[in-house]
Amino acid sequence: MSEMNAPNGDRRPIFIVGVGETGPVAQDPRSIPEMVLAAVDKALADAGMGHDDIDAIVTASIDLFDGLTASNIAVTEVVGAVMKPETRIAADGLAAAIHAACELRSEAYQTVLVAAHGKASMSDFRSLTRWAMDPIHLQPLDADFLVCAGLQASAMAAADGGAQRRWAELAARRRSSAAPGGFAAALPAEAVLASPVVAAPLREAMCAPLGDGAAAVVLSVRPPAPGRRSVRLAGMGYDLEAHAIGDRELTRWEGLGRALRRACADAGITSEEAAIDLAEPSCLYPHEEELFRDACGIGGETVISPDGGLFGGTAPVVAGLSRLIAATRGLRGNARYRRALAHGAWGPAGQGQAVALLEAAD
Amino acid sequence: MIREGAIRIPFKYAAGRAGSRFLVALRDGMRIIASRCETCARVAVPLRTFCPACGGDDLAEVEVGPGGTILAWTETPDAGSYALVRLDGADTAFLHRLVAAPAGCRIGHRVRVRFASSRRASILDIDGFEPVTGEAR
Repeated sequence: MSEMNAPNGDRRPIFIVGVGETGPVAQDPRSIPEMVLAAVDKALADAGMGHDDIDAIVTASIDLFDGLTASNIAVTEVVGAVMKPETRIAADGLAAAIHAACELRSEAYQTVLVAAHGKASMSDFRSLTRWAMDPIHLQPLDADFLVCAGLQASAMAAADGGAQRRWAELAARRRSSAAPGGFAAALPAEAVLASPVVAAPLREAMCAPLGDGAAAVVLSVRPPAPGRRSVRLAGMGYDLEAHAIGDRELTRWEGLGRALRRACADAGITSEEAAIDLAEPSCLYPHEEELFRDACGIGGETVISPDGGLFGGTAPVVAGLSRLIAATRGLRGNARYRRALAHGAWGPAGQGQAVALLEAAD
Repeated sequence: MIREGAIRIPFKYAAGRAGSRFLVALRDGMRIIASRCETCARVAVPLRTFCPACGGDDLAEVEVGPGGTILAWTETPDAGSYALVRLDGADTAFLHRLVAAPAGCRIGHRVRVRFASSRRASILDIDGFEPVTGEAR
């Protein structure tokens, strides 16, 4: 997936043949395996497949978030991984989908199931993120992901007096277009601006609330059954920035720019000519959506998060895979859309970045 | 049903060669040491074993700060305030607590590292950044 790679015209196409998810909800009373089972059953039904059709499984989960080491072991049975090859990715679910696509590219398998879960209601999620920080220089300060997001927003707002109001309006717009069933209440911009500061300049109602969810996707080199617009995973790329936010250019998501260029090269297009009809970014805060738009060079011709993106509520780890599902449904349901971008991010202030480019195959 | 649980397991985190030198310099000399890459000239703080910009391992040890300029700051209702500060002489920014009340705190303001009176070779040998009055940049 180097930027220099020429696309391989003989390469097997990869189709997104099944999608399913449960939640997100603020608190799901079910166990993690029950949540994942619900998502997997929906994805298999959507694909018209059973577990016998699945050659391998890639799961996304993070042990610390589950309060359990080897958190994938808890879902082995429900993803159908007993006596099958399973790989676990400890990052956002979109990175797991990219790994699954690489497995298909290797021609090791025909069909791979991807599943991700996150259950923020289990613990104080914000405190958990402190344990993801450097143990010598950052953990003793009690700095967490929200603090890093506040610092990033602060750096962006430095020379931008209108940022707070613009972010409040963006969050209000996204919350109001969130699908029913999301758990963030619709609020006018004034109410967003009046909500309590959580990490200045970020306010509580600007932030996507984190809850419980599971998502599953079936990727296959076999085209989906006729009767539905088929969606192809045309290109993928990811990137990591330095862990220490002080080592980065904090007012840009440079890693996302690199991930997108890799995804475009992978799809055989340049990022300049990549007309994106629909973008489904993984943004937890409005300043992140501005970082996303800048890094991707996305302007007014692209529809962004028509269902509110993550602002209606999301679940850790699941977020990026849920964006892949939203982008797939967007392409299936809207004949005007030719190409969609799904984005995943993880780590402090968007350290990890993943992009998938989807194309309607007709 | 919900089972309540908690994980309480002590750990010993090795600071490593560069991390240990950095912490000992804080404790013994109230000095903030950084690495200057002899290949790309970037000065990274805290001290590194390799250059974060170019990967070079030909590094010189230099002292930075204790003065610096705020690049970003945030305040939380529960965990206090933090700032990213470009310490004088460094190319990377340093994250620590902001010890003074952030009222009137602005990006571009000058601050200085305040060291703890009792030091144990920890990042907490620094109390945080405090404003420098009467100094502008």
